[in-house]
Amino acid sequence: MMVVNFIGSFALIVLGLYCMVAKHNLIKVIIGMGLVDYGTNLLIVSVGFHAGGTAPIFTIAELTRASFFVDPVPQALTLTSIVIGACTTAMSLSLVMMLRRQYGTLDTREIRRLNG
Amino acid sequence: MNGFLVNFPILAIMTLFVGAFVTSLVGRRNAVARNIVVAVSVTAALGMILALVKPVMLDGQIIAYWLGGWQPVEGWAIGISLEVDALSLFFGLIVTVAVFVSGLYSFTYMNHDDSLVNYYTLFLMLSGSVLGLVLSGDLFNIFVMIEIMTFTAVALTAFRTGYDGALEGAFKYLVVGSLGSTSVLLGIAMIYSQVHTLNLAQIAALIPGQGANPVMIAAFAFLFMGFGTKAFLFPFHPLAADAHAVAPASISLMISGVLTKCGVYGIIRLVYVLYQNYSTPFVSYLVTGFGAVSMFVCVTMAFNQHNFKRLLAFHSISQVGYVITVVGLGSALGLNAGLYHAMNHTIFKGLLFLTAGAVQHQTGSLDLDGLGGLSKKMPKTTLLFLIGAASISGLPPFNGFASKWMIYQAAFLKGVYDGNFFYVIVAVVALITSVLTLASFVKVSQSVFFGQLPEQYKEVKEAPFAMRLPMWILAVLCVVTGLFPNFVQTYLLTPAVRAVTDLTGYIDAAMGAGYAANHGIASWPVTVIPVTGVWNPVSWLLLLFCVTCGVAIVALLASPSDNSKLHISSKDESDEERNDKYESFFSGEEALYSQVGGSDLFWGFKHNWRKYFSFMHDWHSGIVNDYALYGVVAIALVLLACIVIL
Repeated sequence: MMVVNFIGSFALIVLGLYCMVAKHNLIKVIIGMGLVDYGTNLLIVSVGFHAGGTAPIFTIAELTRASFFVDPVPQALTLTSIVIGACTTAMSLSLVMMLRRQYGTLDTREIRRLNG
Repeated sequence: MNGFLVNFPILAIMTLFVGAFVTSLVGRRNAVARNIVVAVSVTAALGMILALVKPVMLDGQIIAYWLGGWQPVEGWAIGISLEVDALSLFFGLIVTVAVFVSGLYSFTYMNHDDSLVNYYTLFLMLSGSVLGLVLSGDLFNIFVMIEIMTFTAVALTAFRTGYDGALEGAFKYLVVGSLGSTSVLLGIAMIYSQVHTLNLAQIAALIPGQGANPVMIAAFAFLFMGFGTKAFLFPFHPLAADAHAVAPASISLMISGVLTKCGVYGIIRLVYVLYQNYSTPFVSYLVTGFGAVSMFVCVTMAFNQHNFKRLLAFHSISQVGYVITVVGLGSALGLNAGLYHAMNHTIFKGLLFLTAGAVQHQTGSLDLDGLGGLSKKMPKTTLLFLIGAASISGLPPFNGFASKWMIYQAAFLKGVYDGNFFYVIVAVVALITSVLTLASFVKVSQSVFFGQLPEQYKEVKEAPFAMRLPMWILAVLCVVTGLFPNFVQTYLLTPAVRAVTDLTGYIDAAMGAGYAANHGIASWPVTVIPVTGVWNPVSWLLLLFCVTCGVAIVALLASPSDNSKLHISSKDESDEERNDKYESFFSGEEALYSQVGGSDLFWGFKHNWRKYFSFMHDWHSGIVNDYALYGVVAIALVLLACIVIL
């Protein structure tokens, strides 16, 4: 069952990379970055999932060797990664706003004063 | 160990982060309070890291600090740790010294800009994140620190929003840099799925038991390319060039001197400590190959540049290429040379960026074709620039010579011992790169500091003392580390290399004694690090002095007759008027007034290689999609090669 998740996450990452490489609109490039982020998040959260496990909420007294729960660490990682992804999007969009004001275009092929 | 010293790593990181918040609280109205907060936090971080030198570097202790006191339970690291061994501290020292110098320089350099409170907040956050990265003992924390580092660096690159190209450079850095961050995160997720821990020491203990697990190999490829992005290795180098050219000079120092070192640190940790596959031939080829290509491609790219800082940026990546090249050799001498050059690179490259910043601050221009003759107006800055240029080109007695000599030796010895011709070629490429570096800096000094002074720069003044002071700190470090390589070797390099070789020590310090032995991890056999690469600087200095005297005598004796000949010929053969500019190698359009500009030097070389140069010029198209494509292709190829071969 997890295989579907892994295939899905890599499909998202590849789609995002395609978007970053092939699309010449700055906004679409950022959408591509977002897709790559989502794919990675899906991968991490799938890594820690155990079918049939309970939520990882225990006190030390309740915790025994027999307790079977979903690994909480990847969920914490995913949360952090989601926050970072949101920051990336916000920051790149604000840069795009200013770029648009300076260059008057959103086409990457025209935003290339630094080259060579 | 002194009980309180254990807290210094976390305190040093926190000082910088807390300083960032206090700056934004008090600095909005009061510039003096802001500067005091910045100076205090930067100095305090430097002081705390310096205080750790004695226990960690000299006594060989390893500090493992568990945040919140969450010690490992039954051999599983459940908390987040900071682990400071001599390698971490070595990079920590590089970082804090660079941050200190950059902060000192910013006070005067940035005084033409507004909203400085944002600048200093971001600057301190950048410093804190980089320090946190090198001192961290937790893989995920490394990722978080990489992200903070990238964001603040992007924001600081775009800080002068009105500066032509600043937004563009920052945007490219963000987009292509995010490829590297994602790559690191994927690698971490894959490692976690196999060994179920994020602690560096525990991962290092568990990885050899995994054998040839394809997921772990894929994780290696992702992490290598991720750290490679942060070190701006070959297909990612256009980012560095774009970001450096438009960022303020103090931030260029941080990007080239500190951020690239994080990539280098990550690669050393990954190859030597986590995966311990430094002796695998394929890994050596991979790492050394990336380094060698970076150093050669970037130094040739530097020839084509017309912007002072963009040129320096390409040289910066070229020097990082040297470091990665020898790190990949997998020998103690190679690692030693790599660490030495990493340190020297921060010092001399920082110095060069600061002189570029001084030129920009005083003249308002970085255009190599427009500047000229500034040595008459800014003699002290010129002297500092020449020290930096001599260091980066590897001239004795400066530090670049000592470390580059070690690099040639390490690469050549590896080739000889293994009977492998590849490493001999690498040594030759390193030599050629060094020659090209020198040539390129001859061009810069001719373009900016010598030659004729253009009319509009007649009123230029020397850079203020507050800007020259940080430059002098770096210049003195250039000379001192070059003249006394034995001290550097004994007190900094040997402990750092020993820390890398001492795997059991690193693992046991975090996970408890005997943990490494239980997992079958052994340290390297304790080898005496060959210090044959260390030269005797005094005799080289004497040689240089003698050669200079000889050249001076010949020049003085010969000059009168030469002059008269010139004079006569230009008088008599007026139709063939002599002008050095139109001699071979100094070609150019004949004009009424034209000085020998920097672009005219090495004209023949550029002409012979014109196909290569025009190809490279088109290759660096400046379109963000292309750069992303190069990055994606490189990551995919490395991933494929690792899975097929390892």
